Amino acid sequence: MAANKKAQQLARQLFKLSLVDGLVSADRVTGVLGYLEKLRPAHPLAVLKAYHRFVATELAKSQAVVEHAGAVSDSILQTIASTMTKKYGRAVTVSTRANPELLAGLRVRVGDDVYESSVSGQLGALAASV
Amino acid sequence: MLTSFFLAAVEAHGAVAGTSEPSLIEKFGVEWQFVVFQGISFLILFGVLYKFGIKPTISAMEERQNKIESGLKYAEDMKTQLAASQQETAKLIKNAQLEATKIIEESRKTAKDFADKIQKESAERATDQLAKAQQAIDLEHKKMLADARTEIARLVVATTERVLAKKLTEADRASYNETATKELTNV
Repeated sequence: MAANKKAQQLARQLFKLSLVDGLVSADRVTGVLGYLEKLRPAHPLAVLKAYHRFVATELAKSQAVVEHAGAVSDSILQTIASTMTKKYGRAVTVSTRANPELLAGLRVRVGDDVYESSVSGQLGALAASV
Repeated sequence: MLTSFFLAAVEAHGAVAGTSEPSLIEKFGVEWQFVVFQGISFLILFGVLYKFGIKPTISAMEERQNKIESGLKYAEDMKTQLAASQQETAKLIKNAQLEATKIIEESRKTAKDFADKIQKESAERATDQLAKAQQAIDLEHKKMLADARTEIARLVVATTERVLAKKLTEADRASYNETATKELTNV
């Protein structure tokens, strides 16, 4: 338990070293991985797992996944990207994924945050409120 | 006593006979020595009879009299004791009857109280069970209504989704996406 906690602390320190201006830097990540490979801390697997989770979470905050039903124009995607960039204070890129279950509308995931405006969501809310 | 009387009579007759004609004692041929012997014999006989006949008889009679008196006294005592025992017995029987009556009354009262208590508890229990049953029925009714409402809502939503999936055109979806974008960007 204590070893796991130490691994978490080390992974968090390494993750902070991987950021440049609040963004994950590929060069820094490469350097951190080289450092880990060279010096091999105690419980290297636990440190690597925790570091990977931190990096993935941080990268997910910089990517907005837009699920949609029906056509989505580039202007819509640009609007969403600019809105999320402004909201999170970092550069957020947009990727799309078709989801016919939405019937119509959008669902945007940024990290753990979900924003949705869809027909299926409104029907679900209606069913839950009855 | 009798001897003294005889002697006195003989002396009186002797005094009279000394005068002229034979006395009466002489007429009867009484001889003094015989009389004395007779007297002594009588005294001896009397003493013997008294010692071996009269005295034991008197003792036996006195003893029997005492026995009879003690028997009577014992019978009297027994009678008194019997009367006292009867009174005591009657008193005990009366007390026992009173005690029995009291116990019966207390038993009846206890039985009545117990029956009342049981009846009251049964009534309360029945009321509680009735209330619980009513609550269970109400809950079941509410649950059934909620389930029915949920199921109806699910069916309505499912049907609506199917209908919309078939009826919505690409243009409708694009228009809705535009609206959704405006809504999301205003968050």
